Amino acid sequence: MTTEKPDMNDFELDEIFASARRATPEVRDDFMTRLLADAAMVQDEWSAPSVEKITEGGGLLTLVWSMLGGWAGTGGLAAAAITGLWIGIAPPDALSVIDDAIWGTSVDLTVFSSDDVLGVEG
Amino acid sequence: MTLAALQDTEIPDGALLVAYANGDRDAARILAGRLAPRTLAQAYRMLGDQAEAEDVTQEALIRLWRIAPEWRQDEAQVSTWLYRVTSNLCTDRLRRRKRSVGIDTIAEPESGAPSVAEEMQDRARHKALQEALSELPERQAQAVALRHLDGLGNPEIAEIMDISVEAVESLTARGKRALAALLAGRKAELGYENDH
Repeated sequence: MTTEKPDMNDFELDEIFASARRATPEVRDDFMTRLLADAAMVQDEWSAPSVEKITEGGGLLTLVWSMLGGWAGTGGLAAAAITGLWIGIAPPDALSVIDDAIWGTSVDLTVFSSDDVLGVEG
Repeated sequence: MTLAALQDTEIPDGALLVAYANGDRDAARILAGRLAPRTLAQAYRMLGDQAEAEDVTQEALIRLWRIAPEWRQDEAQVSTWLYRVTSNLCTDRLRRRKRSVGIDTIAEPESGAPSVAEEMQDRARHKALQEALSELPERQAQAVALRHLDGLGNPEIAEIMDISVEAVESLTARGKRALAALLAGRKAELGYENDH
């Protein structure tokens, strides 16, 4: 004779849950060490210099700068060449900054490495 | 300013996470010390396997570290977020798990703990529960686990699962009925003497 098995009742199910609640894992030292290593690795990724990080933070000017190879790449370019490039691709509101630089107002521009903006001093 | 000067217990999780995002190594140590045991326990109750529970915990915390820079203290609790992520990772694992894989790595019982027979019965019941949970729709399994394994109240579960309290009640009720039916044929094996 086959009888359909009755479902577990609430009391029996509660006992099942209680068994599971009693299960406690071991918090192992080397596991905790791994977790802290992960945390440090993520922090280190944030502070590591990279082109991607620079472009994420900076915007168009820093993107161009990193594409030109930074100081090492642009050292050989005349200031006028850099200016021309910049005028060509920079957003309009940057032009007032260029105007100020060319016509004599002191402006701190990251692209330019010296005061000799027009390159007149060779 | 470093966190080292303050008592560990005074600082809320969210503040620690923000400090962590700003490069504070102490914050990671304190947060991991608080969050890892809780997360590991949640995963272990649901999965019943030490290695899997550790994997889930490690994954959940890596996700937490990565979102730290975007963390808004006024918008959420770290514990709520972590319960949610851990719950999702666990149900993913339950779904992928095949019945034949019965890895059972449970820590050695301490002296004074329940007898060996009780230990074995607990293990068998825990394993049966995991198998039954893996058969449930994911949201039912999550609601039942958060309620009956983690002991959370319905309002907190509602926040974790991003649903209404009524929806939580409905999910847990349906989940329990489904579990009761799934476990019906295993009563004797699980130590219930009479089929009543």
